[in-house]
Amino acid sequence: MGNSISNIGTNNSILSVRNLNFSYGDNKVLNNISFNINKGSFTSILGPNGAGKSTLINIISKILGKFEGEIKVTGENITALNSKDIARRIAVVPQSTNPSFGFTVEEMVLMGRYPYISRFKRETKEDFEVIREVMEKTELTQFADRKFNELSGGEKQRVVIAQALAQDSPIMILDEPTSHLDINFQIEFMNLFLKLNRREGKTIIGIFHDINLAIQNSSLIMLLKEGSIFRFGEPEKVINRQNLNSVFHSDVFVGKNPVTQRMYVSPVFDPYYSTQDYQAVKPVKVHIIGGGGAASPILSLLHHHGYRISCGVINTFDTDISTCEMLDVPYIVEAPFSPISIISRNKNLEFIKASDLVILPEIEFGNGNFSNLVSIREALSLNKRVLIMEGKNIEKRDHTGGKAGKLYRKILEEGACVIKTHRQLLDNLKTDKPDNIYRKELNQQRI
Amino acid sequence: MGAGRRTIKFIIILIVILILIIIIAASIGAAKVSLKETSIIIISLIPGLNALVDSEDLNLQDIAVISTIRLPRIFLSIFVGIALASSGVIFQGLFRNPMADPFVIGVSAGAAFGATIGLLFNSTVSFINISTTTIFSLIGALATTFLVYAISSIRGKVAVITLLLSGIALSAMLSSMTSFILMFQSHDLARVIFWLMGGLTSASWYKFSILAPTVTLLIMVSGFYMRDLNIISLGDERASQLGVQTDKVKRILLVTASLIAAMAVSVSGIIGFVGLITPHIMRLIVGPDQKILYPTSAIAGGIVLLASDTLSRVVLAPREIPVGIITSIVGVPFFLYLLIRTKRKVF
Repeated sequence: MGNSISNIGTNNSILSVRNLNFSYGDNKVLNNISFNINKGSFTSILGPNGAGKSTLINIISKILGKFEGEIKVTGENITALNSKDIARRIAVVPQSTNPSFGFTVEEMVLMGRYPYISRFKRETKEDFEVIREVMEKTELTQFADRKFNELSGGEKQRVVIAQALAQDSPIMILDEPTSHLDINFQIEFMNLFLKLNRREGKTIIGIFHDINLAIQNSSLIMLLKEGSIFRFGEPEKVINRQNLNSVFHSDVFVGKNPVTQRMYVSPVFDPYYSTQDYQAVKPVKVHIIGGGGAASPILSLLHHHGYRISCGVINTFDTDISTCEMLDVPYIVEAPFSPISIISRNKNLEFIKASDLVILPEIEFGNGNFSNLVSIREALSLNKRVLIMEGKNIEKRDHTGGKAGKLYRKILEEGACVIKTHRQLLDNLKTDKPDNIYRKELNQQRI
Repeated sequence: MGAGRRTIKFIIILIVILILIIIIAASIGAAKVSLKETSIIIISLIPGLNALVDSEDLNLQDIAVISTIRLPRIFLSIFVGIALASSGVIFQGLFRNPMADPFVIGVSAGAAFGATIGLLFNSTVSFINISTTTIFSLIGALATTFLVYAISSIRGKVAVITLLLSGIALSAMLSSMTSFILMFQSHDLARVIFWLMGGLTSASWYKFSILAPTVTLLIMVSGFYMRDLNIISLGDERASQLGVQTDKVKRILLVTASLIAAMAVSVSGIIGFVGLITPHIMRLIVGPDQKILYPTSAIAGGIVLLASDTLSRVVLAPREIPVGIITSIVGVPFFLYLLIRTKRKVF
């Protein structure tokens, strides 16, 4: 029901927008927007502040008038519908509501029946039946006689949702309905919206502050950029690094949640180090040994600070590979669960030769990737600077029966520099001092 | 579910209280008439009911005093009270603010200015049946209301803040102009001040026959918009989302409430606090639902003003205190109490 993208057809369309233009005075807010939303779909509208999300839903729900173009709701032109007609077709769930007088929960929910009640008549039995059902669905029955203003933020929002449900409309528009709530309410309400969407076939159009909330639950994503539709389609097709980058102008990481297999988005860098001071001053080339995801934080850190980086040798399915792909970093890959071949090892060496320095992150060593450690030693013999990230004891990371540990200590003796933190790493990359002097300074700092 | 039944219950209780106060008020005054006699006289004056009572042994003078002096004043004060309280309910609902009253948008200053000019004419032009003061204050109140409304409406939308600000600004200007005129007409000063304090001394059946039907009609028209007003208290945007034609409803309610207030001010001068406090008292009793609040506050307004006017006749009898003084002396402590409550976030 929810994923009705497959049967696109105009007869299944519940909302269609054609060539919509809208301006506030001289300021053009929406620019030639056209789209179609099918019955029973769950669409999220994403875009930065000022992209026109709120304006778009305000026009659809006829709060704002005087637009150019054509909007059809359930097949009817909205200019021909009065405000009660619209409210029977589209219910909006706002971020919050703040009545100026102390209405009870029941009185608040009853307001949702407004579009069904004639000005000259009273509420009917049916109206009370609807609000009873709606209050049950939103677990508000026991709050019926409580004052709305005395409820907690989450409970208040439940009342707002009940109010919208009382409108008994085929379309529900969510305007950041959970953005100021704790995670328990976020989950509760998202589950409620999904239930409404899947079991009752309600068409849902939502604006969510949280991109992950949107992509986890939507069948369709609309990316708005500067008043135009940038992309519109299934999350898998719309949500990627390039698209989000050009819409939000900031670098994000798009990964997959290992449990749900849904995509998730997170910022690429640790903002703590993102100051200008640590930007690469000259084109330093860094090669990073990968494996088990240990290289990922360093890859994104250095990428963000403008270093030219490469990575190797990693097995297919390693998290470090997705990081490299995400950041467009060249890398050397080995078949899954296989020891590093001679070919890969030679490629690795070529990358090392082309670099100014090599970093060994805190990776685990087994017989399969032991040759990566050998490559590090070769790097030292090629007079490359080697930086070793060390936190955990090498003995615990050594799964070769002592072979790796032995080589590791030898590498240390031969002049590799041990780095404890990311900040030290960035400091080290900036300095021109030879490693032995730098290491001495580092040791003095520690004392 | 019993919203309708609750409303009727409250209305009946309030009407019973009102009738009792009418009888008490009609019996009080320079000519002593007992409560029983007063009741009989009042019943005998109602067409259709006069057959029920034996009016043979009634004092004709008492009948005359009650029917031509006391009752017109009683009913006029009831309808002024009804007018003030009902327009107070609407303004508080529209402005989403419990501190709003019928005079927030400058009705009072406009009426005072009009009345001042009217008094000037009155001293030179000979006596007219309905005083020039009344007519001029009505014109002043209406003109100010429409001016304020015209200033703050842009393409059919009324910005509440602009409405309040332009109301305050125009009020200030009109008050200064009133003072300026009075500088040169110092012999009218006392009369104007007495008028400003509000009073019902010049009551007549004629005034009542103009005020009562107009106010009743306006209240009935605006009464159909109380469900809308409930929802407008959630804010304009939310109200529109729920299907309310916010701009149209606000316009209708603003115009009717201002007209109601202007009518009241023109016959009674500026009687403060009734329009502010009555809706608050009733909100505490019946709750915030405007559908119940509106009719009950209207009747309660009638009760409050009638009781205050009766007090104003009794306290320093045979002298009369302007009723505005009574309502303010009772009203201010109550207003302060509300302020303190608001500070404690009860509202």
